[in-house]
Amino acid sequence: MRRLIVIASALLLLTLLGIAWWDGHRVKPIALIPTLTGKEEYCLTCHSDLPEISKSHPVKTFGCVICHGGEPLALDATLAHSTLRGGANPADYSVVQANCGGTNCHSGTAATFSDDIQRSTTSIQDTYAGAIAVMRYTYGAQSSLQAQFGTSAIQDPLSTSGITSLKMFDPQTETNPELRLFGQNCLTCHLSAQPLQNGGRYDHFTGCAACHTPTQAPDLTSVNTKTATLVHQLTTAIPYTQCDACHNRGNYDLRTMTFQPRTDTATTRLQDYYQPIAQFTKCEWTLDCIDCHTRTEAMGDGSLYSSKLDIQYIQCQTCHGTLTSLPKTRTLTDPNDLAFRLAQLNPVVTLQLGDTILVTDKGEPLWNTRLLPDGTYHLVGKATGQVFTFKPVMGSGCLQNPDDQSSASCHQCHSVQR
Amino acid sequence: MRPNFFHHLHPPTIPARQARFRYTLAAGGLAVFLVLVLCVTGILEVFYYIPTPDQAAQSIQTLAFLVPFGGLVRNLHFWAAQFLVIVSLLHLLRVIFTGAYLPPRRFNYLLGMGLFVLAVLLDFTGYVLRWDEGIHYALIAGTNLIKSIPLIGGLLYGSLVGGSQPGAATLIRIYGWHICGLMLAAGILLVWHIFHVRRDGGIAVPPPHLRASQERISRFELVRREVLAMLLASVALLILSVFAPAPLAAPITVDSAISATARAPWFFLWVQELLKLGSPFLWGVVVPLAVLLALTLIPYVFPKPSETELGKWFPKGTRLAQVFFVGILLALLVLTVLALLPMS
Amino acid sequence: MREEKLSRRDFLKLARNGLLTLSGLLGLAGLLRYLSYQSQPPVPTEFILGAPTDYAPGSRTVLSQVPALLIRSTSGFTALSLVCPHLGCTVDPQPDGFTCPCHGSRFGLQGQVVHGPAGKALTVLRVENAPDGKLHLFTN
Repeated sequence: MRRLIVIASALLLLTLLGIAWWDGHRVKPIALIPTLTGKEEYCLTCHSDLPEISKSHPVKTFGCVICHGGEPLALDATLAHSTLRGGANPADYSVVQANCGGTNCHSGTAATFSDDIQRSTTSIQDTYAGAIAVMRYTYGAQSSLQAQFGTSAIQDPLSTSGITSLKMFDPQTETNPELRLFGQNCLTCHLSAQPLQNGGRYDHFTGCAACHTPTQAPDLTSVNTKTATLVHQLTTAIPYTQCDACHNRGNYDLRTMTFQPRTDTATTRLQDYYQPIAQFTKCEWTLDCIDCHTRTEAMGDGSLYSSKLDIQYIQCQTCHGTLTSLPKTRTLTDPNDLAFRLAQLNPVVTLQLGDTILVTDKGEPLWNTRLLPDGTYHLVGKATGQVFTFKPVMGSGCLQNPDDQSSASCHQCHSVQR
Repeated sequence: MRPNFFHHLHPPTIPARQARFRYTLAAGGLAVFLVLVLCVTGILEVFYYIPTPDQAAQSIQTLAFLVPFGGLVRNLHFWAAQFLVIVSLLHLLRVIFTGAYLPPRRFNYLLGMGLFVLAVLLDFTGYVLRWDEGIHYALIAGTNLIKSIPLIGGLLYGSLVGGSQPGAATLIRIYGWHICGLMLAAGILLVWHIFHVRRDGGIAVPPPHLRASQERISRFELVRREVLAMLLASVALLILSVFAPAPLAAPITVDSAISATARAPWFFLWVQELLKLGSPFLWGVVVPLAVLLALTLIPYVFPKPSETELGKWFPKGTRLAQVFFVGILLALLVLTVLALLPMS
Repeated sequence: MREEKLSRRDFLKLARNGLLTLSGLLGLAGLLRYLSYQSQPPVPTEFILGAPTDYAPGSRTVLSQVPALLIRSTSGFTALSLVCPHLGCTVDPQPDGFTCPCHGSRFGLQGQVVHGPAGKALTVLRVENAPDGKLHLFTN
């Protein structure tokens, strides 16, 4: 009995020594106290290899939990991730208000330029209201082209378009079988939808991250490697390849109600950019989409619309003017001008007070353009940083009909053979 | 050597046959040891646990992940608590199967049943103190079961919950019960129970002229055996606590809902299964209390064995009581297993 | 001298006591580490005080969140800690210095000890002009 007690004491000592060893070899918690919350978070214990998401969202200021949710003190993965809002993508529209919106982030008003969530969730790119309205009208389910349904139910009481709400489009409740087929095959192209070929070459996140997280390489790399990379990154320098994760991928065949992906292979930027059937000018494939298409066009203006034609308004004349008028400009005198804020987020140009930039008909600043004192027009590519000089139409030998400013008219002379 | 305090807690000698491990299973002694472990680890936890709804679960996460050896202290507390319930049940089983509940030990049997109830209540209140999604069901169902008692249900509910629904007042009251109220009652009953063991003549044995052997062991030998048992139990508890962490879930927040896999704690799964049958008061209060009453009345209702049969397992005279007890245990086991199956 | 061999019983007792003592010491070390965890964030040592122009020359401003007294003289900014060096109460500024309500210590206008159980003067705290144009006070 005495001998057994000694053995048991030795066992106890060994166990305690083992526990001391085990404790010494545990992963050391890495604490972060973000300045915005003042509360400790330990996410970096496992996730310290993640790159900073963007210069405007430094982890020292934001931390991780303010955007992602989760349990800040837990070092066990299952528990830590159990209260994540939106999994790996907090920008998904189902959780975007709590994450990107917050109390005073991207859920503010137009006056402070912080109404991004309200605009993008009511935008045509998310509601898909146009396609749905056209389909339902074509197949007799509604008697006008005005949108009644969207990809999700949404209320917009301050909408100036006359449409203040959309119901959720549920293909299963449609009587026409074509509409049910439409719901089955054709609803993969809106911001809340999971991408076609999840995990494939065109993989992208949903919500804000569909555009602002560049999963596509900015050049032809993705064509060759056939993969997308899901990155921890936010950017406003969105290359055309990211837009092409949805756009220019093929066509819908209404007879079979299926999507026909394009089958050509691209070896140049020109070939990669658009489908073979498209007609375009040189700047339309040299520049990136966002160099022309404005913030309002891509993200909406806060009102619900029945068609993308109601929101797309950029034309060649916006930058080039017409035979009888120069393009509209604005000289920047207000340091709070939106142009400065946008230029700060994507510093391909340094704008200063007194600079003159081009503006659209709606007054949106084309902050990457400038009218230099000597009369030359300058544009810097937002994603490439390439500098271009361009000429206005006025004073040139252009043969345009001034009353027809559609792109088809300019394409008649200026379009490029693919 | 001169006997010290711990030696004096024990009788000078006890019969050797009944002192063997295979007789008592060391169950009673192990239960006392587990209570000591629970007190020490519990006091250590008091330094870090914060009993408010928005800080309870987070303070436990801090303890489990960030405090040096905090996880170990918490896991020790958890496993000691679960094993206390199991070991107490084992001790009850041993007492019934050796007929050690006969007069003059019937009152001590009641004290033991009281201790068992307190152990389960302490386990349950400790479980609720986690205040996370894992316990949410038990909190709602448990408090509402109290409310279902006719006439006095509302009053009892109010005094337990401290409001119209579980919240901050409930948490602090359950904390008070767990570390003070129930502990005080358990402490008194424990001392009384152990006192009665000695007052009733120590471990149950046949009278001297009927004993098979007159051999006895000294208090020194007895203490040595207990020290060995405590050392081995410590090692087992420590190793288990390193490799098997106590459960933890996301904190209860204002907009959290009870999950689809709402489960009672393991020792109440049988009650959760019974509640599928209907009336909460009948199946959740009356029937469990009836089971408790049935177990408590075993010494009073069933035929008593003769003195010759004391001190060994499975005496013939108490066969009916043994079968009855096994029947109840099997029923509880079956109900528990059924509760674990996915709900169809 | 006849060598006394350690009896088996005594050896076992020694081994048992030694092993249990070592276990106890390990347990004690673990206990001390357990109790030493700081769950409260540390007290801030840097305070941002606003623009220098907020404080007129010749002014003496009480900063209750530190607590300290910010003095602007002709030569610049200094600060005196208002924590009594005796046992930590906050001293009250008076026309001729400072008094401590706890045990009666008295200090002059520069913080020097005039009377009372305090043995040291009020600590001088560092004030700096930061690149952001604001004054920063440091208590360390």
